[in-house]
Amino acid sequence: MDREQVIKALKDSGKWGHKYSLWAVYFCTGCGIIEIPPVITSRWDAERFGVIPVASPRQANLFLITGYVSVKTLRAIIRTYEQMGEPKYTVGFGSCPINGGMYWDSYNTIKKLDKYIPIDGWIAGCMPRPEAVFIAVTHLWTLIDKGMANAYKKYRKQYKYYRKNQEMALGKLEWPPLYPINEDE
Amino acid sequence: MNKKNLIKQLELTFSDNEVNTFEENVIKIYAKKEQVKTILRYLKDNGYNHLALISCVDWIKEKEFELIYILTSYNDNNETYKETGYIYLKTKISRDNPEIGTVINVFENAEPYEREIHELFGVKFSGHPRLIPLFLERDYEVPPFRKNFDTRKYVKDVFESIPVIPEEEE
Repeated sequence: MDREQVIKALKDSGKWGHKYSLWAVYFCTGCGIIEIPPVITSRWDAERFGVIPVASPRQANLFLITGYVSVKTLRAIIRTYEQMGEPKYTVGFGSCPINGGMYWDSYNTIKKLDKYIPIDGWIAGCMPRPEAVFIAVTHLWTLIDKGMANAYKKYRKQYKYYRKNQEMALGKLEWPPLYPINEDE
Repeated sequence: MNKKNLIKQLELTFSDNEVNTFEENVIKIYAKKEQVKTILRYLKDNGYNHLALISCVDWIKEKEFELIYILTSYNDNNETYKETGYIYLKTKISRDNPEIGTVINVFENAEPYEREIHELFGVKFSGHPRLIPLFLERDYEVPPFRKNFDTRKYVKDVFESIPVIPEEEE
């Protein structure tokens, strides 16, 4: 680390900490997860970037949504996302979470995932190479530095819209709202 | 029992069903709906002890569903079963009132296949102990694997009608 960066890191030590310890929740949706074992093991070694997979969403702050999302998986994704502690960053991996990809006319696949949970960034491609994960991670660092990776703040502010969309897709949700919803507005 | 004997036996025992052996390694039996269970029991007693798959085809023009039971044997180092290969037991049921008896008491592993066909095609298996959805979360007016299910219209009505999240107000 340069001497100049030391001062910067001390000035904004919170961001510095968030940047270099992006722990990814080990959650597999669809086929994209096949790219994650090479990413985290010795060939590409994600730990160089501070990315390690953790078993529990309570310890994680990076959520990679890897591949298509079926209606049943969406329920699990929302529950996992709501359990993660803040700050939390989500990255859609592959073309299916973006617009449905090759499942654009499927009867049971969620198109456009950002209608249901907030997304910080997307990695396009089918499949993206493991390098794309690192491009996304370094890009996420820039966003964190600039204070632009605030999708989780949007989730808190616009929660009533998200909840409404989730209920439209899944029917009645069996868990209570994460944030209070003011009905009068 | 070798292949020839088996075919002869089948033709003799179930004379009103058609047995087709044109293809190599496959015996196709076009069975009547009521006799499916009997033939499966007979084949199981003759060593075809593995139900590999139950599949369903929607013939919309003929207004029929075709159910296909694929049987094979675990004793495949035995010459007979190697020669015979698979047995396809096909049966047709009407599309307006799709109902057929369950085969769980012959092959127990038929249970998830029958549930799957029930939810994707709407075929009713009478006598099935729990005919509840296997994969699907949503309710569909038409079961989604039927040919008259319009996926694009469904996507447009359901998924595209969900609004985009508005940007934050400053």
